[in-house]
Amino acid sequence: MNIEKLPTGIEAFDHISDGGLPLGRTTLIAGSSGSAKTLFGAQFLAMGIMLFDQSGVFVTFEEQVDDIRKNLRSFNWDIDTWEKEGKWVFVDGSPKEEDSITVGDYDLSAFRIRLEHAINKIKAQRVVIDSIGSVFTQFPDMHTIRRELFKVAMTLRRLHATSIITAERTEEYGEISRFGVEEFLADNVIILRNVLNKEKRRRTIEILKFRGSNHIKGENPFTIIPDKAIVIIPLSAMELKQRSSHVRVTSGVPKLDDMCGGGFYRDSIILVSGATGAGKTLLVANFINGIREKGERCLLMAFEESREQLFRNAKGWGQDFEKLEEDGYLKVVCIYPEVSSLEDHFINIQEIVKSFKPDRIAIDSLSALTRTSSEKGFREFIIALTSFLKHEEITGMFTATTPLLTGGASVTEGNISTITDTIILLRYVEVYGEMQRAISVLKMRGSKHDAAIRQFTIDSQGMNIGEPFNGVSGILTGNPVVVKQNN
Amino acid sequence: MGVKTLQSKMGKHILELYVNGSSLTSVEAIETLQNICEEHLHGNCEVEIVDVLKNPERAEEAGILAIPTLIRKWPLPESRIIGALTIKSRVLAGLGITNGNTH
Repeated sequence: MNIEKLPTGIEAFDHISDGGLPLGRTTLIAGSSGSAKTLFGAQFLAMGIMLFDQSGVFVTFEEQVDDIRKNLRSFNWDIDTWEKEGKWVFVDGSPKEEDSITVGDYDLSAFRIRLEHAINKIKAQRVVIDSIGSVFTQFPDMHTIRRELFKVAMTLRRLHATSIITAERTEEYGEISRFGVEEFLADNVIILRNVLNKEKRRRTIEILKFRGSNHIKGENPFTIIPDKAIVIIPLSAMELKQRSSHVRVTSGVPKLDDMCGGGFYRDSIILVSGATGAGKTLLVANFINGIREKGERCLLMAFEESREQLFRNAKGWGQDFEKLEEDGYLKVVCIYPEVSSLEDHFINIQEIVKSFKPDRIAIDSLSALTRTSSEKGFREFIIALTSFLKHEEITGMFTATTPLLTGGASVTEGNISTITDTIILLRYVEVYGEMQRAISVLKMRGSKHDAAIRQFTIDSQGMNIGEPFNGVSGILTGNPVVVKQNN
Repeated sequence: MGVKTLQSKMGKHILELYVNGSSLTSVEAIETLQNICEEHLHGNCEVEIVDVLKNPERAEEAGILAIPTLIRKWPLPESRIIGALTIKSRVLAGLGITNGNTH
C-alpha cells in the first residue's frame, strides 16, 4: 500500500519524496544546529499558502515570533498579509522572560488545546512544530514531556494535519535525535545535514524513512538561495524520466561528424579532454557554430576565459560570437568558479537554461569547477547536471583539462567519464621532433565511430581534421613511438 | 506609581490560575491556592481561574503551555509556578509570601 502524499511545493523535494510529505501524518525532521530545519518548516507552510492556498500553523518553542517574521520577510514571503488573512498562525511557545518554578505534576494540555484551537480556527492543513529540543529545555521532566509529545502527535493525527516536527542532532552521522522522540514519530524521518568537508560546506537532505511509501534513498545536496530558500538538487529522481534520442546534431566540424558516425546524439553529453591549448575551446567554438545548421540556440558557460578573450579567439577561427549573441542564438555567461558553491552554480545554470531555452550548452571548462568542491560534491553536480540536460533534451559539451601536456587522465575525467555519452580526446603528439595535434573519438555510446587517431590543424577557418596517424603508436599514453611499416 | 505602591503596601495579590477542566492536577492546584488565599493572605487576594478548554485564546495571550500554571500578576515582577502546587511551602516561597504575612 502506498500512503497518499501532500505536495510540499518545495522544489525537487516532491520528486525525491515521490509526491511530498505523507498526508495527514507527522514527519520528523532532524538535523544539527544550522542545518536549516526551521527554514524547511517555514518553507513548507509558505509554499502551502502560495501554491496550494492551504493555511498553516507554525509552533515555535525556540525562536521568538518576531525573529521568525523577520527571517520570512528576507525570503520575500509576505508573512504580514498571511497573518492578517488568517493563512498563517503562530503558536508562541518560545521561552518567556519571567521566572518560572515547578511545583508538582503538570502536563502540556494547554499547549495541545492552543494548537488544536489554532488549527481549527484557520482550518490549517499544514503544521510545523519547531523544535522538540527546546521543549525539553523549557520543561526538564523528560518522562512527562515524552508522554506529552506523544499526545501532541496523536492530536495532529486526529486533526489530519500534515505536520513537521523538528529535532536537534548532536552529530551529523549518529542517532536520529537527542531525545529519542523518533520512537513515536518514527514512521517518517528526514535528516538535514550541514557537513564541513575539506573546508567546504555541503548541505544535504536524506529521507531516512517514509513508512509504507516510496521515496528516493540517499543524500541529495541542497542549497539556500535568497529568493527561493531551500532548493534541493535531486541526483536520481530526474534520471528516471530520461529518454534516449536518435536524432543527430552536427558537431560543427563535418569531418568530426563522420568520425562520430553522423554527428552527436541530440540529448547526449560530450566530454572533450585535452591539455591546455590542445584545441578544446576551438572545438567548443565549432560546436557553437553548429547551431547555424538548424537555427538552434546555444548557451556557453565560460569558467576560465573572459568574454573578450573568448570573442577574440572565436574571431581568429572565423566565427562572430558577437553577432550570434545579438541575433539571440547564443548566450555567453562568464563566471569565476569561486564566486559561489557548486550547488549554486547548478541552480544558476538551471535558471538560465529555463529562461534562454537553449538546444545546446557548452561548459568550458569543467575542470575549473572542481576547484570549488569536494570530489563527491563534484560528482553529484555532474550527475544532477547531466540528468537535467538530458531531461531538457539539450546537447551538452563539457571540456576537461588534463594536467600533462601530452595527456594523462584528469580528476574531472575520472569522475565523469562514465556519465558522458561521448568522449573526444585532443592530444599533442611529438613525431619526428615536431609537435602535431591529434583528435580521437574514444567513446560514442550507441553508435559506430571512427577508431582512428587523426591529425588536425588549426587555421583561420577553425579545425581541419586530416588523416590518421599511420605508423605511430602510444599517442594516448603520451609516448608516441614510430612503428616501422611494411610498405 | 502611586496607586501601585498603595496596592503593594496593601499587599494584595493578583493571581491567575490556568487549569484544564477538572483534571486531577487542576483540582489539586485550585484547592491549594484557595487554601493559601484564606489561611496565608486572609482573603486579601484576587484569584482568577481560567479554564483553557473554554478559553483557549486566554492561554494563547498568556503563552501558557503547561497545566496547571499559576501567574502572580501582582506584586511585580510577574512570575509563574507550573505544576499541581503540591508542596505548599514551595508555593508560598514562589509567591513571595512569608509565614502568613505578606511583604
